[in-house]
Amino acid sequence: MKVSFVVPTRNSARTLDTCLGSLRAQTHQDVQIVVVDNASTDATVDIARWWADRFADRGPERSAQRNHGLRCATGDVVVFLDSDMVAEPGLAAAIVDRFTGQSELGALVLPERSFGTGFFTRCRVLEKSLYVGDDRVEAPRAFRRDVIEALGGWSESLVAAEDWDLADRTAAAGVGIGRVDAWIWHDEGRLRLAGTFAKKRYYGRWIDHYLALHPDGRRKLVRTALFRRPLWLLRHPLLTAGLFLLKATEALALYLGVRDVQHRRPVPKAA
Amino acid sequence: MRILVLNWRDPAHPLAGGAEVYTAEILRRWAAAGHQVTLFAAAVAGRPAEETVDGYRVVRAGGRFTVYRQARRWWRRHGRGHFDIVVDETNTVPFFAGEWVDDGARTVALVHQTCEEIWHHNAPFPASYLGRYALEPWWLRRLGRGPILAVSESTRRSLARFGAGQVRVVPEGFAPPPMDAPPAREPTPTVVFCGRMVPYKRPADVVLAATIAARTIPDLRVWMIGGGPQLRRMRAGAPPGVEFLGWVDEATKHDLMARAHAHVATSVREGWGLVVTEAAALGTPTIAYDVPGLRDSTRAAGGVLVPPEPQALARWLVELLPRWMAGDFEPVPFGGARPWDEVADAVLAAVSECAHAAR
Repeated sequence: MKVSFVVPTRNSARTLDTCLGSLRAQTHQDVQIVVVDNASTDATVDIARWWADRFADRGPERSAQRNHGLRCATGDVVVFLDSDMVAEPGLAAAIVDRFTGQSELGALVLPERSFGTGFFTRCRVLEKSLYVGDDRVEAPRAFRRDVIEALGGWSESLVAAEDWDLADRTAAAGVGIGRVDAWIWHDEGRLRLAGTFAKKRYYGRWIDHYLALHPDGRRKLVRTALFRRPLWLLRHPLLTAGLFLLKATEALALYLGVRDVQHRRPVPKAA
Repeated sequence: MRILVLNWRDPAHPLAGGAEVYTAEILRRWAAAGHQVTLFAAAVAGRPAEETVDGYRVVRAGGRFTVYRQARRWWRRHGRGHFDIVVDETNTVPFFAGEWVDDGARTVALVHQTCEEIWHHNAPFPASYLGRYALEPWWLRRLGRGPILAVSESTRRSLARFGAGQVRVVPEGFAPPPMDAPPAREPTPTVVFCGRMVPYKRPADVVLAATIAARTIPDLRVWMIGGGPQLRRMRAGAPPGVEFLGWVDEATKHDLMARAHAHVATSVREGWGLVVTEAAALGTPTIAYDVPGLRDSTRAAGGVLVPPEPQALARWLVELLPRWMAGDFEPVPFGGARPWDEVADAVLAAVSECAHAAR
């Protein structure tokens, strides 16, 4: 069973080499790497061409890049990773194992761990560890080719929340969603409040649109998973405080992002 | 050519490390090729102020902090007018030869690694912040006005972040250890770590990873090679399966490395990470933290990079050890580095092409 990894990039030189290196080092033999760049100006293109089997340049946003990657991919299974993710060596093997063993499964959730430096990154690591196993937050990233094609790929009208949108459509289509034991490691770099704020405010512009498409999607915005393991939080009081500051900042940013659309404010250049 | 090399440590210094091996190997070959080579370094107890080693002259004066002033003084009294090229081999603190070589001799800096995060491991609290965020950026910005040679792509990138534009990467060298026949691999899964027991090498991460991995591989053994200030404390708290061997001689080290199934490297940062090269030349693959320097040597040696977390190291070990035990990893010629003869030629060529007249 051939596994195609589709990685969209945009000025991703900091993390891309490790990401693609980890895909090349998979213990499963039959792996294809497809990189779809979007007009990068740093070393991304050189790094991508060095590792990838297929390289393309496509815009304007991540969903379009991923859909183009899907068209380039020739695998029986298509896995969508981001350029700041590192795959464990057994990931492709675990995916193949699950799909061959359980024919009713059409999509797989890949559990995620965060890493990086700095205080807020450690808060994020704690947050992500609380989400593991919560299907309201986790979205599938590995699909059988016929399943993702039947779903019509990623929604190009969404720049953010497109993973939730696809997860909702996958579930609504009655596709079986499973999970694997191998992890993907998400490089958060050095997380800063200001940077997170700007990103979430930009993402907030698509939340209204997403909620219009999926009226019950509102429950994804309420992270009850954070309170599922109160002991974990009590054990790290400082990180917990940081985590709630981080979440409050993100909530405010999303709210302002939604208002930006309602007031028809122009998209900031930096985004 | 008449070449002066400034390095605060010479190969005879008790704290000499990878950078000094590099210096000794290339200077010896330059001298053998007929160049007149002088190395200026800090004084070493029990060593003369001036001697000839392997065909090149070693001049020693000053201590860790005064060697920089002494170098300048020596230049005024004895050096001026006697050299064509001055190489400022920077180990955190530059000599700034480019600012005081005033007789038309050309200068170039040679940088193995930037210090950055290591400040927090090597200096006490306020000094570490001063060093990392004020002194080093200031030094490197000044150094970056002239030409620089870097031993790895990671170092070149770090220097570029501090504004250095004219940086050229020179190869890292390696001489395969003499070994008659490679020893047989251990029957049980064995991992080797080789480095001083100091915080910036993060030996504690290896121990933690071993503890986590041992839940899946109960007969896992870990050999921790290397002396250092934390050895005694770490040895006292070693979990079962983890053995602290302390400092061992080169032959023993190579024997242990060749018998293990995997080598792990967990430093905060390296210039290159020669120990990875060494392991690969002995046929032992490396799992290394994805940090500057280790990134370069591990890629060149065909090893595997992991997120810098003990948990990640453990998961990769569990996944890869059984495979490496089954099929042997092929030794990589020169462990992914270059033979020293080639390095000496390349550095000399780079030095003569890049060096600029200071004034």
